[in-house]
Amino acid sequence: MLRLTLAQMRRSIGRLVSAGIAIAIGTAFVAATLLVGNVITRTTYDAFAASYAHADLVVTGAVSPEVVSAVRSTVGVTAVSVRPQLGLQLSAGSHRAYVLVTEATSEPRLEPQTLIAGAFPSAPGEIALPRTTAERLGLQVGNQVDTGHAVGTPSAGPATPAGTAASTPAPTVDWAEKHDRLTVVGLVDDPAGAFASSDGAAVLSPAQAERFAQDQAGPSPVIDDSLILTVDPSPGTAAVQHELTSLLPREVDVRTRDQQAQASVASATGDTQSILIVVLGFAAVALIVAALVISNTFQVIVAQRTRTLALLRCVGADKGQLRRSVLTEAALLGLAASAVGLLTGITVVQLTLQVLQRTNADAHLPSSAPLSVVALVLPVVIGTVVTLLAGLAPSRAATRVAPLAALRPSEAPTLAARPGRARLLVAGALTVGGAVVLVLAVALSARVGSLAALGLGVLGGAVSFIGVLVGAVLWIPRVVGVAGGLAGRMGTSARLAAANTVRNPRRTAATSTALLIGVTLVTMMSAGAVSARATLDGKLDSTYPVDVAVRAVQGADGSAGGLPPGVAPTVAHVDGVRTVVPVTEATVLVTSTGTGGSTETLHGISAPDLVAVLRDGASIAPLDDRTLVLSPPVAKSLTVRTGDTVTVVGTDAGGAARPDVSPVRLTVVVTRLPGHEALVTPTTMRAVAPGAPSPLLWARLTSTDSAPDVVPAIQDALTDQSVSVTGGAVERASYQRVIDTLLAVVVGLLGVAVVIALVGVANTLSLSVIERRRESATLRAIGLARGQLRVMLAIEGMLIAGVAAVLGIGLGLVYGWAGAATMLGSMGPIHLAVPWRDLGLVVLVALVAGFVASVLPGRAAARTSPVAALAVD
Amino acid sequence: MDTTVYQPFATPTSARRTETVRARALSKVYGNGAAAVRAVDAVDVTFTAGAFTAIMGPSGSGKSTLMHLLAGLDTATSGQAFLGDTEITSLGDRELTQLRRDRIGFVFQSFNLLPMFTAEQNIMLPLELAGSRPDTDALAWKDLLVSTLALGDRLQHRPSELSGGQQQRVAIARALIARPDVVFADEPTGNLDSRSGAEVLSFLRRSVRELGRTIIMVTHDPAAAAYADRVVLIADGRIAGDIADPTPESVLAGLDALRSLELASGPHASATTSATAVRD
Repeated sequence: MLRLTLAQMRRSIGRLVSAGIAIAIGTAFVAATLLVGNVITRTTYDAFAASYAHADLVVTGAVSPEVVSAVRSTVGVTAVSVRPQLGLQLSAGSHRAYVLVTEATSEPRLEPQTLIAGAFPSAPGEIALPRTTAERLGLQVGNQVDTGHAVGTPSAGPATPAGTAASTPAPTVDWAEKHDRLTVVGLVDDPAGAFASSDGAAVLSPAQAERFAQDQAGPSPVIDDSLILTVDPSPGTAAVQHELTSLLPREVDVRTRDQQAQASVASATGDTQSILIVVLGFAAVALIVAALVISNTFQVIVAQRTRTLALLRCVGADKGQLRRSVLTEAALLGLAASAVGLLTGITVVQLTLQVLQRTNADAHLPSSAPLSVVALVLPVVIGTVVTLLAGLAPSRAATRVAPLAALRPSEAPTLAARPGRARLLVAGALTVGGAVVLVLAVALSARVGSLAALGLGVLGGAVSFIGVLVGAVLWIPRVVGVAGGLAGRMGTSARLAAANTVRNPRRTAATSTALLIGVTLVTMMSAGAVSARATLDGKLDSTYPVDVAVRAVQGADGSAGGLPPGVAPTVAHVDGVRTVVPVTEATVLVTSTGTGGSTETLHGISAPDLVAVLRDGASIAPLDDRTLVLSPPVAKSLTVRTGDTVTVVGTDAGGAARPDVSPVRLTVVVTRLPGHEALVTPTTMRAVAPGAPSPLLWARLTSTDSAPDVVPAIQDALTDQSVSVTGGAVERASYQRVIDTLLAVVVGLLGVAVVIALVGVANTLSLSVIERRRESATLRAIGLARGQLRVMLAIEGMLIAGVAAVLGIGLGLVYGWAGAATMLGSMGPIHLAVPWRDLGLVVLVALVAGFVASVLPGRAAARTSPVAALAVD
Repeated sequence: MDTTVYQPFATPTSARRTETVRARALSKVYGNGAAAVRAVDAVDVTFTAGAFTAIMGPSGSGKSTLMHLLAGLDTATSGQAFLGDTEITSLGDRELTQLRRDRIGFVFQSFNLLPMFTAEQNIMLPLELAGSRPDTDALAWKDLLVSTLALGDRLQHRPSELSGGQQQRVAIARALIARPDVVFADEPTGNLDSRSGAEVLSFLRRSVRELGRTIIMVTHDPAAAAYADRVVLIADGRIAGDIADPTPESVLAGLDALRSLELASGPHASATTSATAVRD
């Protein structure tokens, strides 16, 4: 029987190969995902291992000063290096950078970085910088660098005097930034990527590092990140490890370097694992699509072998043998295709690594992906099992062939029987039930919290989509028929194509379904993303009054001066910035009748400037010299309403009313202004707080859509200035980048499923061509030109692909909107948006792909000689 | 080479007596060298318009290959084939397609109707392929065909709902709808029982006599050949005889003569001698 199976496979080799491509792509996807997981784990492990240099032991956990001294005094410990939990803000001129900090050590085995210039610091006041950081700050050995770090002091308030701070359950701590000036004595390199997150770490002398760490800890004892140490060979690492473990408190772990790296990887890769599981979810979608394609192919192969199968039954083969023959074929195909897919996946990952290593030397990537047993075996097993499962239905079909079929003249495959009523009921129940759950999830999202609603929504969405897919064979052929009816008006080729697509409803449905899955998911993500973006935009519009706000950073003395003179023209010159308005600012005391005074930050801006710079400028109530314009939150906190009269007076540094100005009476106007704002005209500002500086600049962009490009441009233009850039557009730019990146990644992953589905379309078309060989020849004999035959197949391909794309878009929009509504329901009003550009692209890709899929089968069909019509088989 | 010229059979409906299909030294060789098979060997033959001619011969005699060459379905190794004044052996695929669409009709052994179209759609397909919208004249012609072939109540049925004989009549209507110069029928009764076969053959004959069409039929069945106005016998790729006004008996006698001559003198002697042998 095996020999027969192999012989049959050889005869159908072309068809099997095209089905194998689908499974190979899916398997390659799984293999690549697992390998990338291995690469990430290895990279993380290498980085951790590198950060511990060549230490014998690593102590982590609550590394208190007592632990440090206990370790130092332990017999057999030769050298100890402390890793403080410390980072420094560095500045030189107008440039800033943040670095991690390590402590210099006398033991070279404990130093993970290499010195490339100067020396390691040996005394307080010295620092060695990573090469890249020094370059960014424009520093060389011998230069000075300013450092800033947080200093905690027990609050000076009477409730918590300094002496009792430690015993109070929650001591109040005042935080300030402390500034020092250090001399750069050396430059270091981080070749192993031990501190890859900050491109290397700055090195301080142990005394300096301890002082900074103590500052940062405030009143509490210093807890270091970890301790690394070397061990004298005579007691040995194991003995010292044992000794330290029994000596030190239980909150402290003593591990060897490798043990510690493994433990760190285990805790750090939790996130990586969940990302990999999500990616494998997409791989599963791709495999489901591949299964549809394969099942389709096997159905046709079995149909074509009807006569052979019947003959086998006549000569004594039983049903089980036929079923096993088909399943053996599926298993062999699955095994071969999965092996090819595995090799493809490995090759792709290795090549990508090679390219990344060449182009991105700082990435600290391994030169080859570590192959694990799981990464090698799992893809092949999954690919084979999926193929085998896809072969189940066709193998049952093979057993249904009656021995008598061998004796009947072979006939063209007749129209498939109508699918059963049971399918209709199941599909209907799943679709309706899932839709109800989905609607429920959307309705409840505002009340039960987004996570619970999301879970419910995913369940409802998945169930209803399964229902749609189960029912696909019932309704997709009808939709294709209607679409074909419309297309059929274009001419004879189109009419033939339309008639062909509804000949085998089951196959058309399966082919469309494969594509439908991919398109639905892509559209869902796209529609969800634009809806989320629109919703967040709406939310930001109500939070930020202006697109971009540029603010002078407080000086080292804490004073808020005006903006440097060059800032306003610089911002105004950035492409995409429409209006730039400087705003004066002062802290004032607002007193309304009947209540005490309350401090507010007051902004001064002229009425025309305000209208010009606000996105919703027209809606702002008139601002004049006698009014105080408030946004609703400020009015609420002051308990005033429109029409109330308040007195306003500037305050001094201590928060008291300035003695040199007299209070001004103003009428309150509450507006729809977003955010927390109190506005007056510059004239009023001069009266209330003479000499108020202008530390703020408001800018309006030509279009909020351009925020992702314009905001970084503004930031780049201002890198030399001590300013911060905030505002609605900035937020918008940052989350848009996140959404866009996520969307691109997700669409890329789903793209694999779409590619497989398109392989399926090509497969279906070429199978049809083979089946209809005589029919094509007849058409050629009675006068269909070669070109017309090719056009017919192209229209057939585009019909199947186009209908799947349009249906998928419809479903995807519904699911995407439901998803956005569920996730963001608690945030306020939902804006449902249609990603027109993406949808157009999807339809275009589907049509072009349907056309491309028809090219090879079309050529094969056109080669058919009209003589074939006369042949009798 | 002896070429037998057929004396036309007078029919009441057609006055045209022109030559429609001609072959001049037409040859088709498969393979080369020692393995070469001369399927059609320097054949000269002429078929007249308005007649129903049968090409007959045993299996492997080359009758189907000859028909493929005459219909422009296959390329000749040497020689010429003409449809009217057009030399089809010199045409490219595009011209051949157009020629088949406009001037040649086909009836196949296994009917070859398109399963997804109704009988009427199948009949009208050649006109559609030509891209012409059927005018009143064409519609009247279709009605005439439908009534002649007795298909009136079957037009809206799909092929799977028709009997073999009905399917073949639809195929005949399809072959005639574009009023081709000639219709080639390849074993049109091969897949039919004898009663349906007889019915189809009568319809073919009526198409010639009443509608003035030209039909060339390939068959190996003497009874079928007897429906024709003339039978051309083929053996070993050569014309081996020509029978006018055949009856089943005269066709059988011709075949027998062919067979006995073959037995007596080997394959290559038969062509020249048998032509005289079968002449009444």
